[in-house]
Amino acid sequence: MADVSLAQVQDWLVRAKDSVTEQRSYLTELDSAIGDADHGSNLTRGFGAVVDKLASQPAASIEALLKASGMTLVSTVGGASGPLYGTMLLRMGKAVGDADTMTATQLGEALRAGLEGVVARGKAEPGDKTMVDALGPAVEAFEKALTSGEGAATAATAAAQAAAAGRDDTEPLVARKGRASYLGERSAGHIDPGSASVTLLLEALAAALADG
Amino acid sequence: MVGIVVVSHSEPLAVAAVELAMQMVGSDPPPVEVAAGNDGGLGTDAVAVAAAIQRADAASAGTGVLVVTDLGSAVMSSELALELVEDLSGPVRLSRAPFVEGLVAAVVQASVGSSLEAVEREATSAIQAKTAQLAGETEWPATDETAQESASEAAPDADAPSDVQSIEVQIVNPEGLHARPAVLLAKAAADLAVDVSVTNLDSGAGPASADSMLELMSLGVRQGNRVRLSAQGSAARDALETLAGLIAAGLGDGTGDEGSSR
Repeated sequence: MADVSLAQVQDWLVRAKDSVTEQRSYLTELDSAIGDADHGSNLTRGFGAVVDKLASQPAASIEALLKASGMTLVSTVGGASGPLYGTMLLRMGKAVGDADTMTATQLGEALRAGLEGVVARGKAEPGDKTMVDALGPAVEAFEKALTSGEGAATAATAAAQAAAAGRDDTEPLVARKGRASYLGERSAGHIDPGSASVTLLLEALAAALADG
Repeated sequence: MVGIVVVSHSEPLAVAAVELAMQMVGSDPPPVEVAAGNDGGLGTDAVAVAAAIQRADAASAGTGVLVVTDLGSAVMSSELALELVEDLSGPVRLSRAPFVEGLVAAVVQASVGSSLEAVEREATSAIQAKTAQLAGETEWPATDETAQESASEAAPDADAPSDVQSIEVQIVNPEGLHARPAVLLAKAAADLAVDVSVTNLDSGAGPASADSMLELMSLGVRQGNRVRLSAQGSAARDALETLAGLIAAGLGDGTGDEGSSR
């Protein structure tokens, strides 16, 4: 099983930028139902800045790349998504360390560390109608696939599918964290925008590993 | 002095709040650093917050930094900033205080050279002044002056130390003990070697710590009210006379005939 390369991690973020840019209206539409209608534009701006940053200052290691990307998101994405996605990428980078390749197991550990960072930062629990409801099942699916002997690409595909299912499962939930929680019962009946954007990120990861 | 970091979604909001707080402290303000907005718009930026903490830490010479935040993700960005900072010389605390009240209280308390713990406590209790103003009273340990007095008469040795001294003085300020005279009194009290408490004899409110602007303000002292200053120990008499002298002189407000200086 091939290791995951620095170039693939960079490709992941480029694909993530393309995906959130393409799905910008969809994310904004979800966010206008239960938030402040800026999720699509915030992430488009943020990941656009990430790709610009990586193009102008190539990173020498996976940790450096994820750290630079996380810091860029933090400085360009207003609202809670900035510190949440920033924390996720920073923790992932720290888990991998100063290397230019990682094993599938290391990627699994990085995703787990990213999830734990998001949970620590946002203090959201499963069922609160947040990105955790997609990212949590995705990390579990990734780990389960590895246990079954699958490689990183297949595990990432399983993670993306689990994220999409988790995203869809947020629809009936009543939000208990973030701005949507101000709506109380009225937040039910809408998919959580954060769960939708993190699903796009995991789909981008699966695509980057499949083609790489 | 303890440093203050102001984290806001809006730069104009942060700048105005800092201006308001700085009006209270005059020529010797504590280090205050602002991290407001994100990428030119509304929002907060953990990287900018981390940089502001580093600057405030450097300026505070190891005494510590208090971070005062406005809404929602300002807290999250500040928590993330604590992961990003490196090689700090002192501790950093995130304040639970309301933004404007907490910032004013923190800046004032830091300006008198208080510890980070004291600055944080003062900021956190900042909401009490408004609560007291609107409720007309506040929850004092002993709310009924009569009960307090009769209790100490009944058992003079039980709770009251025998060397407590007090002095009574009338408030001359036209607007009572409002923010700026309260700051002056708190600063003067903080410079003393003894703890002085203040009770409003007309309303029974108190005792408040004389070195806390917010506690003083929550006494609801009006022009003409009499306050009792109490302290104990060998330096008590000098301390009480110093503060009583300042109060009688109007705490920088003059004695009223030229009106309030706003």
